[in-house]
Formats: sequence, structure tokens, C-alpha cells
Amino acid sequence: MSKLKYESPVIKKMNAGLMNKFGTRTEYQPLKHIDGVAVKDMIAKYGSPLFVLSERQMRNNYQAALRAFKTRYPKVQFAWSYKTHYNNAVCNVYHQEGSWAEVVSGFEYHKALQNGVPGNKIIFNGPDKSIEELNEAIKNDSLIHIDHFDELYTLIELSEKLTKKPRVAIRVNMDTGIYPMWDRFGFNYENGTAWNAITKIVASGKLNLVGLHCHIGTYMLAPWAYATAASKLCDLAWHAKNQLNNPVQYLDLGGGFPSANTLKGAYLPGSDTVPHIEEFAEAIASTIIAYGFKPDELPLLILESGRALIDDAGYLLGTILANKRLSDGRRATIMDFGVNILFTSFWYDHKISPAQDFTHHSEDQVLYGPLCMNIDVIRESVNLPLLNKGDQVVVHKVGAYNMTQWMQFIAMRPNVIMIDMKGDTHLIRQKETLQYLEMLEEMPQHLKEFKL
Amino acid sequence: MILKKAGFIFEGVINSYAVLFFSNHKLFAYLLLAISFFNPAAGLAGFIAVLTAVFTATTMGFNAASTKAGFYSFNALLTGIGFGSFFESSPVFFFLLILASLFTLVLSVTLGGVLGKYGLPFLSIPFIITFWIILLATKEFSNLGLSQRNIYWINEMYAVGGKPLLSLFNTIESLPLPKWLSTYFRALSAIFFQDNILSGFLLSVGILVYSRIAFSLSLIGFFGAYLFNDFTGAYQAGINSYHLGSNYMMIAMAIGGFFAIPSVYSYLWAFFSVPITNILVISLSKVFGVFLLPIFSLPFCIMILLYLYFLKMRVFVGKLVLTPIQHYSPEINLYQFKNGSERLKNEYYFKFNLPVIGEWVVTQGYDGNITHKEDWSKALDFMILDHQLKSYSGKGTSLENFYSYNKPVLAPGDGYVQEIVDYIEDNPIGEINREQNWGNSIVLYHTTGLFSKLSHLKKNSFIVKQGDYVKKGQVLAYCGNSGRSPEPHLHFQIQATPYIGSKTLAYPISYFYQSDGKEIEYKTFSTPQEGTFVANININKLLQQAFAFQPGYSIKFKEGNMIETWTVYTDAYNQTYISCKENNAVAYFVNNETVFYFTNFYGSKNSMLYQFYLSIFKVVMSYMPQVTLNDVLPLSVVQAPFIKLIQDFVAPFVQLIKPKYMLNYTSIDDEHFTSEITLESVIEIEAIGHKRIFRTSQVILNNGRLNQLVIKQAGKERTFTCVE
Repeated sequence: MSKLKYESPVIKKMNAGLMNKFGTRTEYQPLKHIDGVAVKDMIAKYGSPLFVLSERQMRNNYQAALRAFKTRYPKVQFAWSYKTHYNNAVCNVYHQEGSWAEVVSGFEYHKALQNGVPGNKIIFNGPDKSIEELNEAIKNDSLIHIDHFDELYTLIELSEKLTKKPRVAIRVNMDTGIYPMWDRFGFNYENGTAWNAITKIVASGKLNLVGLHCHIGTYMLAPWAYATAASKLCDLAWHAKNQLNNPVQYLDLGGGFPSANTLKGAYLPGSDTVPHIEEFAEAIASTIIAYGFKPDELPLLILESGRALIDDAGYLLGTILANKRLSDGRRATIMDFGVNILFTSFWYDHKISPAQDFTHHSEDQVLYGPLCMNIDVIRESVNLPLLNKGDQVVVHKVGAYNMTQWMQFIAMRPNVIMIDMKGDTHLIRQKETLQYLEMLEEMPQHLKEFKL
Repeated sequence: MILKKAGFIFEGVINSYAVLFFSNHKLFAYLLLAISFFNPAAGLAGFIAVLTAVFTATTMGFNAASTKAGFYSFNALLTGIGFGSFFESSPVFFFLLILASLFTLVLSVTLGGVLGKYGLPFLSIPFIITFWIILLATKEFSNLGLSQRNIYWINEMYAVGGKPLLSLFNTIESLPLPKWLSTYFRALSAIFFQDNILSGFLLSVGILVYSRIAFSLSLIGFFGAYLFNDFTGAYQAGINSYHLGSNYMMIAMAIGGFFAIPSVYSYLWAFFSVPITNILVISLSKVFGVFLLPIFSLPFCIMILLYLYFLKMRVFVGKLVLTPIQHYSPEINLYQFKNGSERLKNEYYFKFNLPVIGEWVVTQGYDGNITHKEDWSKALDFMILDHQLKSYSGKGTSLENFYSYNKPVLAPGDGYVQEIVDYIEDNPIGEINREQNWGNSIVLYHTTGLFSKLSHLKKNSFIVKQGDYVKKGQVLAYCGNSGRSPEPHLHFQIQATPYIGSKTLAYPISYFYQSDGKEIEYKTFSTPQEGTFVANININKLLQQAFAFQPGYSIKFKEGNMIETWTVYTDAYNQTYISCKENNAVAYFVNNETVFYFTNFYGSKNSMLYQFYLSIFKVVMSYMPQVTLNDVLPLSVVQAPFIKLIQDFVAPFVQLIKPKYMLNYTSIDDEHFTSEITLESVIEIEAIGHKRIFRTSQVILNNGRLNQLVIKQAGKERTFTCVE
């Protein structure tokens, strides 16, 4: 038996639970392995902190989501949301599964092209598309989702000289009965702007209106809101066909399906409150099928889900740097990763598991990151076993947004690895170095030298 | 107008000759016409008689098609030839000849009407009756003398062809032929009331050209009669040239190759009908001998009528199939039948789809060992399973965990909602309800005696109500867990009666994908197998559009300077076909919204339409990258005359040459918004175990139509481009 760990004694307020002869227990289980690979080994090999992605979980998520829609609706296409995670290895997992690409900027667009996604299978969203990018998208026959009238006019101008009509859709925003209502992107449904945009496109004769797009929000907990959204898009599609004789070929319901992470301030954990993707599929598919399109005229259903497909496939491994007592007696644990790389800790109360065995004692504590900045708090108050210097922890469900929104601030970005289907690990992004950081810096001649 | 009518009559006359041998082969008909003139008086009399019959039938307004085919006049031909052979020409002769010809026509039409109701042919009965009547009556006509030409035929020959013909005749007659061979030839010539080797020889060549099968059958008839005679030790009573030709050889050809699809069985029937005919010949000769009447081909007629009527009475058609559509060639009959039964046998099924969206697993198939037993054995159970073959995610303790639960259930075919049960609670996982074992169910009425039933549906999930008309693919209700169902699944069965407890009926699903987890197969008219993943075919819009071919649709193709214009038509039987304006080639096709396929081609094999017919012989209107679509081509595509000759001889027993059609879907630009698809078809000919690629073609579809065909055959490449 190995030597027992020292844990400094603490006086704790008695919590009255059910009587039992073992005393109170923590709910925690250590997470020592991910997809059969030991956390300890991964940290030893790739360092700490370390992002780990499970290819198996990504594929499972994708297949489950596809199954949920495809067993309800005959024509379904997913488009991988690049902004959620645009590491090429990750993107290619989804492309291998059959996903198209959904991008919101020029560089994402080029990333998708470089990954080998054919131009006509890239959906170009977002309010900021430059003339050059639009021209390129037109040339590649990509699906351009128009965000505002200025963009619409630009596109009409650009297509004046073309023989082939660019394929476009409009982004529609609408009241689906949820708060907040996202009305800053696209054209509003209720006040008629969306219909106005549609008629302008058709009347221009220069653009080919092939689809309608909406994205009603993010981390949506109400499947029925999607039914409302689908129904409103169907309305527009129906009128486009019957009044303008311009049938739209697809409805893009966007994404926004939640992962099982717990939002800050939520009363119950996300795993208990978040609806299953099947419920979203049911709301959307049954609405479109029941709307009244002829079976062979049903529009293609496109989904741009990102978070729900990758969040629980990502883990962040880290190591305890120190622990200390705060002035009010609370325990504070300092870890080697902070908000700079775990951006989502601003929104979520991330679940964190120790990666090794621990005693049954636990304590409310603050989890700090390593940054020398006051904002660097991972959890304000979490009940965890007592962690000591050198102990390892695993943060769950960090696959979405972190590896695109992370910052190089004070500390650099760590290695990212992927565990493949066979349980082998692959480095998919190297940790940053000073040289990498300074690669783009330029030094004016007069500042090159100084004496101290 | 007159010219047109004359042409029509001429066709009728010519066809009358070939019809004697169950053929409509033009060359053969001219040959027969020529042979009939070897006995010039008989030939002339025959010609006059046919002309009279066809002319009268045409003028009096009898069925044009039958008249043109020579059906009403071939008996007159026999009568005429008989007349010319037996009687001396004189004014009385011609008068009687025309009367006899008209009488034969009357009998032909009448018998055709009477026997036609029973689906029977009148054969040469009109000729026999007419000739008997004439023979009996003419004994009183002193001005009509019996001819001696049959005795002094050499004089006749000399009169027609002079010395050269005569010496040719003599040379042939004195050839040292084996007895059986010369008898064989004489027997054939006897069908035209002649008795010489040359006519027989030419006739046998004619038969061989017209049909190898008929030729081999003529040998069977001939030798069968000989063998039987030897066997019974009969005095050669039944074996004179006439009977050999007109009865035994004809019966073998008719039974073995014409009225039945040639096969081992038809050959056996042909072989055994010869001795029976022999007995008939002997016995009937005795009866009619009393009246001094020759029996002609009466035994043949009796045998054929008996044979046909007897076989028509069968409830189930076994291996011996009576020719369903007469093409007037044993070979064509056989090849069309074989090709048709391989390719088109399923066209008559009601077309059912799978009642689900997406990929499901057949968890219990026909005769499954859980509940598909006895009267309810031909049913299918479906569930959704993931790649680990699990039916649920999470703990699997609540209905919502199960993939199949609450999934839409579709109408497998068009029909009325016959019955709905919608009040049974869904069971918790693991429990079953044996009281109401079918659970919530729906029965659809598709057509008389054809119902489908879906069971274990979710309570209160029905979207349709009793009496509604539902379309194939429409959502009916949602999958649940009611009745005898421990976890959510869908039970699907076809039945012949409208009740929820009805017993099952084995019935195929028309088109679907089936995958064992490794390979995806495209299935037609078959039953999904237990343990496989199945899904409905998804129709590709571009394929659908390119192959729509609505009547009136016209398309032009260009090869170099050549242009062909193809237009789609429908005929009186609602069959669709493409007709080429420039060369009148015609290709019949079927488009049933899922599959496009050609059924027949008539016309020049040099036409582009023929190449088109071969290139897209069959196309399923779904883009199926992993699938090779197979079909069987008719033998007519093969261009090797020698192998084909051998094939024709053995066709009733074995198929030596198998032309196979294979189609691959090679590329698509976008599965959802398709603007271009490339197909590649290969025709492979398998001859005696040896495979050879006969031709390949690449078909490019874009702009919503068939745009280009590139054909590679025998090292040559041809490109057709759609111009309009």
C-alpha cells in the first residue's frame, strides 16, 4: 500500500444528511482514463495542460444526431460549424462522416477549401464577407447566406456581369417565443423584411435563391422554438414557391442545440435539464413534413450543429500548482490552466474530476487558473476532494469553442491531441513557443538596441 | 390509294406462304413461292387462290392485320396448290378454283371466329374440308379431268425451264443420297404436293434460315416416325412422303417450337406426339378410305387442337409454357420469353415501400423464431440500431432512450385506412401486453385482397383516421411499444384479409437498399432479410428529370454530321416508346418512377437509338455509388453469327451465350443539388464460360437531361451529343 496522502485538517460545518455508518460521501468519481488511455500517461507524454479530443465520441455524436434526423426526415445534411472548432483534424472527422462546411469568415472559408471541401458544399454565413471573398464564393458556387441588405445589393452588383447566377439564401431572424430574440443577424420575419429581401432577390433576376436560413440562438433549451422557426421558414418557402414561382431547395435551421454542460446560474445540472437531440429532431422534422409540401418536393434540411456534436468529446487535462487558504478561510486551488485557454468557463460551471484516487473528504473551494490576473477563475465555488500540488484533474465537455476562442495571454496555448478509434493518441496541434509567438512581430530599427 | 391497296394485298399474299410454316419471314416466303412454281400449274393455281382470298378479304373489310398476315388465305393457298396438282387446267378448273378459294376463305373466317373464342387456331381444317367437298363433288364433273402431271412432271419441267433445268433436276434426282435423306427431302416437298429432292432441299434450307429450332424439330418428326414404324413393325402404311411432311414433321414443329415455348419439355411432347399422330393417320385413313378420301393433314389438326386445349385447362402453368405472345419465330418466342421472365416478371406486383424513414434493421424476418410463426410467419419487425447494434442510448430504461420510439411510420403503398386501433397504452420497457398483443395498429386497404398492417404503434399518435386515403410515404402514426412488444419496434405485414389478426401473406418489397454492415445491395422485389440494415431508395431529381420521357418529349442527338430526332409516344395499350424520325427505329420502355428500362427494340442496329437502348438498358433513378445494377440483355445484341447459330440449335436446352448488362453510377457533383451525373454501363458477353467485354458506354447527364453518350466498342469510340 502506498503512503497515504497528507491532507491538512479543516473544521467543516456539519451537513445533516441521511444517517449511515460511513459518514457523508462525495459524489465524485476519479476519471483516470479517456477512451482507455490513461490521463497520467497522456500528461507524461504531451505535458500539462493538455486538450484531449475523442474521435470515437465525435463520430458517435455525429451518427446519433444524423440518425435522429434521418429516421424522421428523408433529406438531411449536416454542415460542420467551423467556428466551433476549426482544427483541421477535427473538421476532417466530420467531413469523413459526410458533413459539409459552415464558415463565417474568409479564413474559415479558405480552411474549408484547403481541407478539400468542394466549394459547392461550403455554406458562407456571417455579416462580414469582403468583396473578394464574395467573388470567390460565387466562383466556387458556394452557398452564400445573405445577412443584410447591403450585402444583398453588393451581390446583385457583383453578379451583373456574370452569366451563372450565384446561389444564395437569406438568413431570417424571428420571434420563436424565446428570450433573448436574436434579431441582429439576417432579415426579420415578423416585420416583413425577410419577405422583402426574398422578393428583391427574385426580382433582381441575378441571384438564384436556393435556401432559407435561420439560427435562433445558442444553447437552446426549448425544442418547440425550433418547431416555430421551422414553421416560419416553411411559410416563406411556401410563398416563395407559390407567389414568386421560386421553390427553395433547402431550409437551414442552423444550430444552437445544447451540450450537457451546466450554464452558470442554472439550478439543475445540464445533464438533467438539456433536451436530447432527438427532441429537436422531432420538433423540426415533424413540422416540415406536416407543413404540406409534396413528398418529392420536400426541401433539404440542413443543420449546422457544432457544440452538440463536439462538446463532450473534448477534455482539458491539467495539474494542480498549489493550494492555499483565502482570507475568509475558503480553500483555493491553483491549477496550470486558466480562462485564457478555457474560455467557456465564463459561461459554464464546468464539471471537473480528479484524475487519481482521493479520500472521501471534500470541501468547497475556488479553482483558480495560473494567470496573474484577477479574472482567472475557473470555478467560484465547487465541492471537490482535496487536491494537492501535482495532482491531475480533468475538465469535461470542453470540445466546443475553447480551441477557437482561446487566447495567448500570459501563458501560451498547450498541445491538443486526439485519441483515435483504436485508442492511439495523435498530436493535432503543437503547443505554442516563443518563436511562434514572435514570428509575426517586427522590430523597428531604432528600437533594436537599448542599454540598461 | 390503289397502289397502297395493291401493296397491302401483295403483303397478304406473300405472308400466306410463310404462315404455312408458322413464319412471317419474308425471304422464306419468297422461297416458298418459288418452290410452289416447280409444279407450274400448281404454283399458279395456288397463287390465284391466295390472291382471290386476300383480295376478297380486303375488299369485304375483314380484319386488316389478320388479312395482311395471311391468316385468312394460307388455307386457300393449300387448296390452290392441291387443285393445281390434282386437276387438269380448263375453264371449269379456274371457275372451281376460285369457288374453292372463296369457300376456304369463308371456312377460315368462320372457324377462326368459332375456335378463336377458345383461343385455338383453325390450322388447315378449312383446306381439308374444302378439298374433301371438291373431291367428292368433282367425280360428277366430267369436264374437269384429273391431272396426270404428277406422273409426267418431267414434261412440265421441260416446258418451263428447258433443257438446263431438266438436266439439273435429273442430276439431283440421281444423286447417290442415302435413302433417309432423299426421303426427308421428298417428304418436305410433299407438303406442296410435290415429290422431288430439289424442292425438299430448298425447303429444308429455307426452314433452317427461318429457324434452327424448327429445323431440328422437323428432323425429330421425321426420325420419330421412322423409329416408331420400325418399333411396331407396321407395314409402311403411315409412312408415305405426304404424311411424313404434312403430319409428323409439321406436328413436331408446331408442338415443339411454335405453340409452346421451346424447351426440353416441348421437345419431349413433340417426340411423343409423332407416334400418336402415326396411329391417327393409320386409323383415320381406314375410316376415310371408305369414302375414298385422303385424310391430308387431319391428324395434325386434331392433335394440335387437343394438345392446346388440354394444356390450356391447367390451373398452374408448369415447365411447359404455351407461347404467350406469338412472334412467328421459335427463336424469338423463346428468347423474348426467357428475357421477359427474367426481367419483367415483377411488373405485376403491387409496389410496396418500406414503412419507415432512414435506415432500420430487420430484427425479425419471415419465419423468425421469436413470434413470426405459423399463420403469422411472413412478417417483418423493424428497429433502429446504432453501429454497435444497440437499440438505445443512455440507460435504456425509458421509452425515450430507444431510437425507434416516436419515429414516423409511413404508408407502404397508396390505399385507404381500413382500421385503426389507438387506445392501448405503451408498455414500459421489458413488459409485454399479451391481452392486446398487436397493440395500436393500422390496416391499409391497397386493392382487393391486398392489405398491409403496421403494429405496436404509439398511443394517440395517429395522424390519419379510418376511411382516409393515404399516399405512399405519408406519415400515418409513430412507432411505439404497445401490445406484445418488450421494447419499441415496428411490426409490418402484408395480408389478404382486412382484420388486425389476419394471417400474413408473403409479398415482396419493390425496391430497397439492404446492407449487411459491409456491402450495400440494391434489392428489387424481394423480402428484407433478418439482421440486415434496410432503407428506401431515394430518388435523385436529375435522374428523374432526365429519364422522365413524357409522351410528346423530343430530343435530338448528334454524331458528327448525323442527327437523330427521338420523340416519345404512347400506343393504344398505354405502352411508351421512343421513335426515331430519321430511321423509324422504335424502342419500347417503361418508367415506373423508380426504374427506367427498355423492353424492346425494333429497327436498325446502326441507329443511334439502338446504341442508346443498349447504353441505358436499365437505370434506377437513385444515385447508388456502391452498387452495380445488373440486368440480362436479349440475345439479339450478340453479333457472332456462328456462335448464335449453335446457340439457336441448343436454345431450348441450354443457354450458351449470356449477354449481361451492368450499370455503375460513377460520379455526381452534389448529392442534394445535382447538376451532373455520370453513368457507366458495360455489356459483357459470357459464351461457354468465357467472359468478354462487348462494349462500354459513358452517359453524362446535365442541364436536366441526357447530354452525352460515349460508346466504346471493338476499339472504336463514338460520341453522341444532345443538341436540342
